[in-house]
Formats: sequence, structure tokens, C-alpha cells
Amino acid sequence: MNDDIRPNRLLQALAYLVAIGTSVLFLYPYWWMLVSAFRPTRNILSSPLRPWPETLNFQIFTEIGRIGGVNLSTYVVNSLVITTLSTVLGVIVTALGAYALVRRPKAPGFSLVRYGFLVTIMYPYMLLVIPVYLVMFKLGLLGSYAGIILFLALGPLQFFLFEQFFRKIPNEVIEAAVIDGASEWQILTRVVLPMAAPITATVALITFLLNWAQWFPIMVISRSPDTYTLPVALLSMNSELGSNFQGIMALAVLTTLPVALLFLIAQKRVMEGMAAGAVKG
Amino acid sequence: MTDVLATLSRDRIFYLFVAPFAALTILFGVWPILLSMQVSFTASATALRPNPTYVGLANYAAVLADPIFLASLARTLLYTVLSVVANLAFALGFAILLDSRLLKRGSLFFRLAIFLPVITPDVAGYVVWRWLYDRSFGALNAFLTLLGLPPFGGLSSVDTAMLAILIAELWHHAGFYMIIFLANLSIRDRALEEAAHLDGATTWQRWRYVILPQLRPALVINTVYALIQFLKTFTVVVVMTKGGPNDQTNFVSYYAYQLFDQARYGEATAMATILFAIVIGLSLTAYRLGDREPGQ
Repeated sequence: MNDDIRPNRLLQALAYLVAIGTSVLFLYPYWWMLVSAFRPTRNILSSPLRPWPETLNFQIFTEIGRIGGVNLSTYVVNSLVITTLSTVLGVIVTALGAYALVRRPKAPGFSLVRYGFLVTIMYPYMLLVIPVYLVMFKLGLLGSYAGIILFLALGPLQFFLFEQFFRKIPNEVIEAAVIDGASEWQILTRVVLPMAAPITATVALITFLLNWAQWFPIMVISRSPDTYTLPVALLSMNSELGSNFQGIMALAVLTTLPVALLFLIAQKRVMEGMAAGAVKG
Repeated sequence: MTDVLATLSRDRIFYLFVAPFAALTILFGVWPILLSMQVSFTASATALRPNPTYVGLANYAAVLADPIFLASLARTLLYTVLSVVANLAFALGFAILLDSRLLKRGSLFFRLAIFLPVITPDVAGYVVWRWLYDRSFGALNAFLTLLGLPPFGGLSSVDTAMLAILIAELWHHAGFYMIIFLANLSIRDRALEEAAHLDGATTWQRWRYVILPQLRPALVINTVYALIQFLKTFTVVVVMTKGGPNDQTNFVSYYAYQLFDQARYGEATAMATILFAIVIGLSLTAYRLGDREPGQ
């Protein structure tokens, strides 16, 4: 704007002080986690504040090669497989569902589906997982990858992002295709889906980040640590008595690093997508 | 006639599209919720049998007469209010700072720093915080000692446990509220501020009467989201305190889960239903209050 709103030097210095100070406080836990993963537990006890490790030694990742009787690599693979498959399934199911609900809001039963979904996302998640255990038991899915992946597929943010996008497609675009004699299947695959490519990428990205962090449903649906993902393994390691502090920090690094990197690569898409999905809610 | 048939067959494909979504919603949403409500009317010992004994509202009566539950509910509400206020105040303050002309460079870095914890798996984040607070390993008290300050009680002291998890949760959640405020700030009408400035409004007046009213949508959304978020507080308790010390952080979600773990299914699901009712009631109220235009 104009001159007298131009910030004065003192105010500007103060703003930077606050912004930098807060950012350092927010980032310090990551640095401490990373440094602690490379320092023997007794060294951390004697000097918790040391800003970098004494030596750069990756030994700890072989030391925690087995946690709770399961190989560390199993947890890594579980995390990758469960997160990827639940993301792919979730994106497809949610996109088709939201598309149908937007195109035919008055079709018999459709508003019931929508309300059922809205009620589900209002229900305290942790307390939903408990009866889901009973449902999984009745369906014979307890302890299976299928049960975990199916449960993780749906989420509110994903649905709202797709719903919002499909609502914004101008009616004329669809009508023009109808007049040209296109079937609904052709309209979907040739008109709507190509337009929806960017939003699909955003939803897939956000779903991956969110599902990677999931732990409670996975712990409840699992029958043994064989289907645990990294966060669940981390939690059970953290709950053990006489815990291996360095090992816990190393596992926390493994749990955090992949999604942190993915986020930093695609930060604009993630932050814009999450803000947009929330504003609809 | 053929028109009607054509419409019907055109619609049929939409049922096909919606079927998987509907199936997952029913199987893992509607059905478990109804099941949970049904269990809340049965005696715990028989709850999982094919023919459970129905006890009417006995579980609800038992829960509402349980002093631990009432204390837990009071603490949950207190914690929710404190968290909502702290998170929104921090998020709004930081969003305004990032949006202002004061920070010419580095704005993206600051935004990333505050948002990174949002996508960090909560278990990992809270595990690190749990140890940061630790008396012998933790960096926090070592730092306070270095400065010659008294140590922070953290998770082990009755007085500070709730504050300690509030800080850890703020670290994890506030970035999300911040980007919603930022999105709202970026679409505001700047011409209004120009006009206010020409009319001789002070900086404070511009904020109070021109900008803040335009942030109403973000305030409403964030309040509703934060209410739902903090009423359900669970993961941080599991990772950091297990409800302690002395029940100070034994919030309703966690208490209900503990009862479920002890096979007290009837009471656990009754609590779930009560918490569900509170979540819906409070968020609808917040939504109504927020949606009402000023002066109406």
C-alpha cells in the first residue's frame, strides 16, 4: 500500500525475531530426534543438549533389526504396502462415489449414503475403531491386510476435495457431451477424468501422508505384530519397559523421514489441498 | 416411455459408481456405530453373545454416576477449551505475521516449519516430545537448567501434565489452522483496507473493523474442527501419559478405551455415545453461532 504503512525497521526486526524463534522451536524436535538416533543412550544421559552426534554411526539400524519378534524390514514393507494400496483404493472409490453423489443428488438412497458418511466422520474416531473390531471379526477380516486397507480407504478430506471439484464442473460441459450422444461411461472417462487429474494427484498425495501416520485401527485390526506398520511398531517399542532410547529415536526417524521428504517435495499441493478440503467441511 | 427408461438406465450406472463407496461407508461406518449403540444397551458380560441381555439405560446410568467419568468429562471439556483457544490464537497470530509486509523473505520457510508437524505421524511426534520432557534424557530441562531456570515438571507432575500435552498437541495441529487462516487472508478484499486507510483508520482499527470480520469463515471452520479434534484427544495420551499422573490426562476417549480393554463393553460404548452427542451438539452450536450474521 502506501508510505506510512510501510513497516519501520524496529517492527520488522521484531517480526523476524518472533518468526525465526518460533520456527526454531517447531523444528528443534526433529533435530533432536535425528541427533539422538546417532548417539549411544548413555551419552544422551550425560549431555542431552549436544547439538550433533559424537560419531556418525549407522549401527543402530541393524541393532533394531528385530522389534517384537518381527524384522524391521517387515514394518517398512507393511507401511509401504498398506499405505499405497489404501491410497489407491481410497482415491478410486471416493472419486467415483463423490462423482455419482454430485451428478445425481436426488437419486433414491443417495442422500442417505451422504448422511451416513457425514455421521461417520463426526463419530469419535478412536471409539469407532472399537466396534469396527467386532465388524472385522464378523466379516472374518481380523488380522488381515485386506481389513486394514479397506478400513483406511475412506476419509473426510478426500471426499470433500472430490465433491468440491465435481460441483465446480460447469453443467454445459456435461450437457454438450450428452447432446453429442456420449454415454455416462464415456462422459466419465473422456470428459471428467482428464479434467480431474490434478485434483486426483492432490488427493492421492494427502491420503498417502495421512494413511502413513495411521496406527490405532492397524493395531486393533491386527492379530499379531506381523501386520504392524512403522508407527505401530514405534508405539509398542516406546511402551516397553527399560526401553532402548536410541533405538526409539532411530525408529522415529524412519517413521518420519519418508513423509517429511514427500511433503517438502510437494508442499504447495499438500498445503493448498488440505486448506481447500477443510474449507468445504 | 422410452424417455423414462433411458433416464433409468442412465441412472443405473451412477448406482454402480456409488456402490463401493456406499459399501465401505456402511460396513466400516454406519454398521459399527449402530453396533456400538446397540452394545451400549446390553450387559457387558453378554454383549458379544448372539443373544445379549438388554439392560435398557443401565449402562448410561452407571456411567453418569461414575465419579471417574464425570471428572474425566470435566477435564476433557477444560482441555478442549484451553486447546481451542491456544491453537486458534497461535494460528491466527502467526498467519497474520506471515501475511504481513514485515516478513519480506523467508515466509515460505516459516510456513513449512509450522506445517511440517501436521504431516509428521503423530505417534512419532509425540514419542519425541515425551522424551524431550523426560527428566533424565530430555533436552528441555537440561536447557532450563543451563539458563538457571527451575525445571519444568512435564508429564510427571500433576500440575504441568495437561499443559505439557497441550504444547505437544499445539505443535502437531496449529499449522493446519494456520493455513486455513492464511487461505482466508489471501482472498480478502484489499480495496476495503485501502478505503479505510484513506478515511484515516489506524492500523488497529483496520484490523478490528475491516480485516477481522472478513476472517469469520476461517474462524468458524477452525473452531468447529478444533472442537472436534480436541474433544477426541487420544493418541497423545496413549503415547505420553497413559492418562496419568493421577488421572490428570485421563480424557473421555482414553477412559472409554480402557473400559473396553477391561471387557466393560456396555459402559465403554455408552461413553462413546455420550461423547458423540457432545461432539455433534457443540459443533452444530459453534456452526450456528458462527454462521449468524452480526446484527441479525
